[in-house]
Amino acid sequence: MTSIWRKAVRDFWQERARTTLVVLAIALGISAFCAVLSAYAILTRELDRGYLATNPASAILSTDRIDDELISAVLSNPAVSDAEPRRVVTGQIKAGPAQWRNLMLFVVKDYGQIRVSKLERQQGAWPPAAGEILIERDALQVARAKIGDTVEVKTVNGVEQPLFVSGSVHDVGQAQARMENIVYGYITLDTLKQLGEEPYLDRLNILVAENRFDQEHIRSVADQVKKLLESRGHAVRRVDLPQPGKHPHSDLMGLLLLAMSSFGLFVLTLSGILVVNLLTALMASQVRQIGVMKAIGATRNQIARIYFGQALLLGGVAVILALPVGMFGSRILCRYMALFLNFDINSFAVPLWVYLLVAVIGLVGPLLAAAYPVWRGSSISVLAALGDFGVAQERFGVSTLDRALARVGGTLRPLALAIRNSFRRRTRLALTLLTLTAGGLFFMSALNIRASMISTLDRLFATRNFDLSVGLSTMYPLEKVEHAIQNTRGIVRGEGWFTMDGSLANGAETAVNTSAHSEKQSGPHSGGPGTERFNVIALPFDTTLIKFDLLDGRQLAASDTDAIVVNNALAARSPEFRVGRRVSLQIGPQVTSWIVVGIARESFSPPVAYIPRSFLDARHGEMANTLRLRLEKSDPDSISVVKSDLDRNLTHEGIRAVGSVSKTESRFAFDQHMLMIYVFLIIMSAIIALVGGLGLMTTMTLNVLERRREMGVLRAIGAKPYIIWLIVVVEGLVIGILSWAMAAIAAWPISRALGNMMVKVLFTSGLDFTFEPVGLLIWLAVSVVVSIAGSFLPAWRASQLTVREALAYE
Amino acid sequence: MFAALRDVELAIEAGEFVGIVGRSGSGKSTLLNMIGGIDRPSSGIVSIGGKSINELSENRLASWRGRTVGFVFQFFQLLPTLTAAENVSLPMDFSRTFPARERRQRALALLERVGVAQHADKLPSALSGGEQQRVAIARALANEPPIILADEPTGNLDSVTARDVLDLLRTMAAAGTTVVIVTHEADIARVIDRKLEIVDGALSNSAEPAK
Repeated sequence: MTSIWRKAVRDFWQERARTTLVVLAIALGISAFCAVLSAYAILTRELDRGYLATNPASAILSTDRIDDELISAVLSNPAVSDAEPRRVVTGQIKAGPAQWRNLMLFVVKDYGQIRVSKLERQQGAWPPAAGEILIERDALQVARAKIGDTVEVKTVNGVEQPLFVSGSVHDVGQAQARMENIVYGYITLDTLKQLGEEPYLDRLNILVAENRFDQEHIRSVADQVKKLLESRGHAVRRVDLPQPGKHPHSDLMGLLLLAMSSFGLFVLTLSGILVVNLLTALMASQVRQIGVMKAIGATRNQIARIYFGQALLLGGVAVILALPVGMFGSRILCRYMALFLNFDINSFAVPLWVYLLVAVIGLVGPLLAAAYPVWRGSSISVLAALGDFGVAQERFGVSTLDRALARVGGTLRPLALAIRNSFRRRTRLALTLLTLTAGGLFFMSALNIRASMISTLDRLFATRNFDLSVGLSTMYPLEKVEHAIQNTRGIVRGEGWFTMDGSLANGAETAVNTSAHSEKQSGPHSGGPGTERFNVIALPFDTTLIKFDLLDGRQLAASDTDAIVVNNALAARSPEFRVGRRVSLQIGPQVTSWIVVGIARESFSPPVAYIPRSFLDARHGEMANTLRLRLEKSDPDSISVVKSDLDRNLTHEGIRAVGSVSKTESRFAFDQHMLMIYVFLIIMSAIIALVGGLGLMTTMTLNVLERRREMGVLRAIGAKPYIIWLIVVVEGLVIGILSWAMAAIAAWPISRALGNMMVKVLFTSGLDFTFEPVGLLIWLAVSVVVSIAGSFLPAWRASQLTVREALAYE
Repeated sequence: MFAALRDVELAIEAGEFVGIVGRSGSGKSTLLNMIGGIDRPSSGIVSIGGKSINELSENRLASWRGRTVGFVFQFFQLLPTLTAAENVSLPMDFSRTFPARERRQRALALLERVGVAQHADKLPSALSGGEQQRVAIARALANEPPIILADEPTGNLDSVTARDVLDLLRTMAAAGTTVVIVTHEADIARVIDRKLEIVDGALSNSAEPAK
């Protein structure tokens, strides 16, 4: 090692307290970046690998009865490598004395022969025997059941039956049951028969033989199969084409991780600011040394190399510290995300490119941060360097701000000194403020976004004046439905609505689903991108159970025959949905023409069109397939009692209810998604505040170091140690409060933009912005605590200096 | 514009030991800095060994300085984080005048020559003023420069140590090194070959051989 490198190392060792702080801050940034980057690499690999391992269906065709002959016919198409029939039946499962949860029952003919969309066996029996049910592992909690229990189940057409929970499975392709508040169950055809349903399979999962990831190819093969089915007299109700090779939540996860990666880089940038501060101060304190080195033959490049070497050293040590922490963090993140998306991680192996990228960024980042101070510091001439009288000779009092500050503090001179001191090193102050302000901004944004999410959801749910929504197995005469409602105690008002699938007449999607509930309950993820169909709800024009929050136009009126109100999600889909414009919709088998009379705001909702039920009454008579009910009491127990009572009355009328969602339950699903954003922002702000705190501590250490002589003078003229301590702490406090003020000013626009951006990723819908004033107060308290904590140690050290030491310092 | 030096015309022979004297602010240090390539004249030339150094770029000047000039400062100016031997090795590292493996041996030899070899592995803070200045002189000799420039090298030393340092410089000059020293020392005449007096930035006519 040459003397040049020895100097680089020992200079840092001499300033080990400062160096440690900076290394910690950089390591924190690199750890955050490393954790997210590794998690991204692991999760995308494992999610898609785990999903692909299940051999997910290329296309799913919903038809009528599928028999072996039909399967053979489909398999005779060389473009189809495999085909397997399934059935999905909706129903309810009893989760408490009077509590029913929505149930999605997957019916499999032969559990030993599952080749497409495979299930992973978890615990207990395999396959389930007749009268037994396997429950998706995450759904056990929703069902409040465990293996060995007997649960009550009822399906669309069946009767309430006890089923023995004989085991659990993992269904990679399903969203987390807890978040969706739904139970996924797996049974055989025999069990389906026991439940009172006709034992047949109607969903054909096909796998294409070639080009498995080519959507166009899959579409064309699915079309061939559809035609084959139709040619053999089978009606095809719908064709679903999942995104090939991609887990349904893969893109969502990618977006979330991308947001987190950006955050990791942001923290790294903030920690780079500390490097700028440290090296600027280091170079300022070594001006004479630079002069001497130049005098004895060092070129500017050689000088720069010493300090770049130091920056490299900082980065190197930080990378070594950060890698294990980052890897640990990535495991936590992976586990959390895997739980959220309900999949298993088989390997936490991190690809080499992640290590390399982290190392490159960890090493190059500090070098970039060092570039300006090193370039500037190494350019000083020998003469100027040798003539330097020390680092504390900056000229204070020249600018207007200095003169204004000179009037601050009044007769309380130590306070005045502390306030003025804060502004002496402006660049350093600005950089320190930047980190602290960023922490405050993220924290206040987290609270504001949370408040905005609550307010947006409140506004959405305020438009819904019903407490319970009940789906019926098919359409029933309205008169009978109303009779059952009237006979049920606890219902203030009830209406029978009719829900259908619809699409723009020029959109060529297949068919209609006339059952009340499609296979997936309407929740935060329904109606995602790629679906061209939307819900069409026929409701009484004078309904009191929904009050449109109109963005444009008007409500439905008594005289309307061809009027339609669309929600903003549908309006955003096509420019045709504008007030006053006429649109052609395929609703049922018919194409009909409608005039858009209103656009209603329904945040976080899937696309929906509302039409007057008179349209339907004229064609099918007065029928309904869903109920909306306002109840006297809306607590879960009261709702359960009403549901049981209503169920009995509906059965009495010959009507089968197949599922229900209370307002509280749908709100819960939204809240779970929102919580994720909120927690993410809070963690971000905590990490940034930590970097900010370390930054402040570095700044205060540098400030104290540079002003040792002044402190010696203060001590010499009678200042007691605690006064010195106080001056330094107040200086830190001034910086902390300044950062709070800046964050407070910027919080409104920033949190609004950030909230909209993040919520749009999840729901393709913006926020009703609400400012949370409590955030200001909490962050003020945090700023005060961080400022005092950050300046405590430097202040204490300053107060311990003897006059002789302070004055002798050069 | 204030001129620190004016109408200075000076030639110093190789191996000469020249003392520059004068009051504070008279321009002594400026003259020394001109000779060492630390400062540049606003007009005129500074030619060392036939080379006009005031025309060199900063980087070339630094390289030239490393090989040609050894500096000794009043406040020693040793780098506090390097040991005595490492301080002496530093100019060799910068100028790469000796192979890396030989540099420590050479540094130790130079420290031996100035009488502080026993302190080779100590940090400057552990050395007395006189010892530090000896190390500084050893550092100045590291690249075997033909010229040593010393700015008040005894200004911070007691009289006994100052005498030792001057004797050391005299020995260097006797060995063929050109030594130019700026000093206030009264008995400088004892060691130097020629004394130059600067008054208000100009060389006094009284400049004369010391012995």
